[in-house]
Amino acid sequence: MGTTGTKHKSKAGAIVYIVVPYLLIVAVVLAWEIMVRVKGVQPIFLPAPSAIFKYLVVMIADGEIAYHLSITFLRIMAGFLVAAATGILVGIAMGMSRLVARMVDPWIAALYPLPKISLIPLLIIWLGTGEAYKIVISAVTAFFPVAIATFASIRQVDSGLMKAAKDLGANVRQVQLKVVIPAALPGIFSGLQLGMGVTIIMVVAAEMIGGSSDSGMGYLLIHAGQVMETEKVFGALIVLAVFGAVITNAQKRIDRMIAPWTEREH
Amino acid sequence: MEIVVDNLVQVFGEAPNDVLALDRVSHRFPSQRFTCILGPSGCGKSTLAQIVGGIEPFTSGTVTVGAAGGAAQPLGTHSVMMWQHLNLFPWRSVIDNVAFGLEVQGVAKAERYERARVLIAMVGLRGFEAHRPPQLSGGMRQRVALARALIMERPILLMDEPFGALDAQTKIVMQEELVRITEQTNKTVLFVTHAIDEAILLGDEIVVMTARPGRIKEVIKVDLPRPRSQEMVNTPEFGRLYDRALHLIREEVLNAMRQQEEVAG
Repeated sequence: MGTTGTKHKSKAGAIVYIVVPYLLIVAVVLAWEIMVRVKGVQPIFLPAPSAIFKYLVVMIADGEIAYHLSITFLRIMAGFLVAAATGILVGIAMGMSRLVARMVDPWIAALYPLPKISLIPLLIIWLGTGEAYKIVISAVTAFFPVAIATFASIRQVDSGLMKAAKDLGANVRQVQLKVVIPAALPGIFSGLQLGMGVTIIMVVAAEMIGGSSDSGMGYLLIHAGQVMETEKVFGALIVLAVFGAVITNAQKRIDRMIAPWTEREH
Repeated sequence: MEIVVDNLVQVFGEAPNDVLALDRVSHRFPSQRFTCILGPSGCGKSTLAQIVGGIEPFTSGTVTVGAAGGAAQPLGTHSVMMWQHLNLFPWRSVIDNVAFGLEVQGVAKAERYERARVLIAMVGLRGFEAHRPPQLSGGMRQRVALARALIMERPILLMDEPFGALDAQTKIVMQEELVRITEQTNKTVLFVTHAIDEAILLGDEIVVMTARPGRIKEVIKVDLPRPRSQEMVNTPEFGRLYDRALHLIREEVLNAMRQQEEVAG
C-alpha cells in the first residue's frame, strides 16, 4: 500500500487527493472574481469570471460556438488524417528500407526544425487563403512528428522478437507485418498524439492570419479581440482548452483500446 | 536427431578488434538425448546454440544436423529455439503466440488453434488462452515459450538459459516439467546454462566449456537414473558430479576474471 501516488492508506486521504485539485481551481476563479470587483478592473483588460461565464452561455445558446468549433474540428481532422496517413507511410518505408531512410533523412533533418508557421506566406501565395491552405499547413506540421516517431519506433523494435519469429518460420514479409509493425504501434501512437497537438495549434493559427477566414475558433478569437470583446476572447479560449483536453483524452482511450499490452509492460 | 559440430570457429568483429568466441569446437550431440552446455558467462555457449539453430552465421568449421549423407538443408530446419528472454509477442494472446509458427505456415485458424490448445494443455496453461504475456507470471510465460517452440514439432529443441530469471521454486517445477515433456516427445535437447545443479538434474551429458575463447574443456556423463527429481541433490552420486563440474567451472571463472583484469588494467 502507498507505494504509488494514487494509493492511500486511508479513505480520507483518497478524498483529499481527489478534491484538492478542484478546490484549487475554485479558489483561483474566486480570487480572480474578487480582485476584479474590488479593484474595479476594466472588463476590456480583464473581465470577471462571472461575466465571461454569462458570455459563454450566450455564445453556446445562439450556436456561435457550435458553428465555429465544428468547422475548426473538421479542418483539424482533415489536416490530421493527411499527416497521419503520409507520416505513417513514410516512417514505415524509412524503417523498412535503408535506402529510403538515406533518401528521406536529409529532407527531414533540414525541414523539421523550420518553424512551419513561416511557410504561411508561401502557402497563401500558392493556395490562397481557403481551406486547402489551412489543411496543408497543419498537415505539413503534423507530418514530421508522426513520420519521425514511426521511423524511430520501427528501428527500435526488439531484434530478439524478429529473430524469434524468423526461427519459427516467418519470412521477411511476415516478420515485418506480424512483428515489426505491431511492436512499433505504441511508438506510432505517441507520434500521432504529438501530431494532433500541433495540428490543433496550426489550424487555429491559420484561421487567425489576416482575413484568411470567416469561420473557425481562430477567426472567432481574432475577431473578438479586434473589437475588444475581451469576454468573448476568454470564452473562446476556455472552449479551445476544453476541446483540446477532450481530443487528447479520446486519443489516449483509443490507444489503450488498440494497444492494451503497453500498459503493463513496465 | 544427431548434431555433429566439427572444428567450429566463431570470430566476432573485424581485425584488429576481433574477438575469438568459439575456438575449434568439436562435439557429437547424441540423438534424443539431453545435453547441457555449461560454462562461465561470455564463454560462447549461447553462440554455439544459436549457430546450431541457424540463427547466427559462423566463421569456419562444419555443423551437420541429421544423418550424414542426408539431403543438405539449411541449419534451423530441424530445430527451434527457446530464448533466454523468451521473446514472446506481448500484443498476442497466449494461443496466438503458441500458434505463431503454424500461422506463418498458412495453417487455417481452426486447425492451428486446435493444435495450440493441445500444447497449451500439455504445459499446464489451460484456461489462459486469451491472456497476453504481460498478464502472466514468469513461470507461466516460460510455459508459453515452451509450447510455442514445441508446436513446431522439430526434433531438436535449443534452450538458451530459459530458466535463468525464475525464482528457485518455480525453476524446480519448470525443470521437472521440461524433463517430462522432452522425454515424452523424444527431443534432442541442447540446454545452455551456467547453473551446475541444473545441468546435472537435466542432462544426460554435460559439455563444460572454457572461458573465452570458448573451447570444450570436458564432457561429463551424467549416469543418474531417470526420472530425476530434486531429492537426488542429496545423493553421493550427485555430489560427485557437482564437485567435478564445480572444479572445472571454478578454474574457468578464475580464468575469465583474470582476462577481465588484464583488459581493465
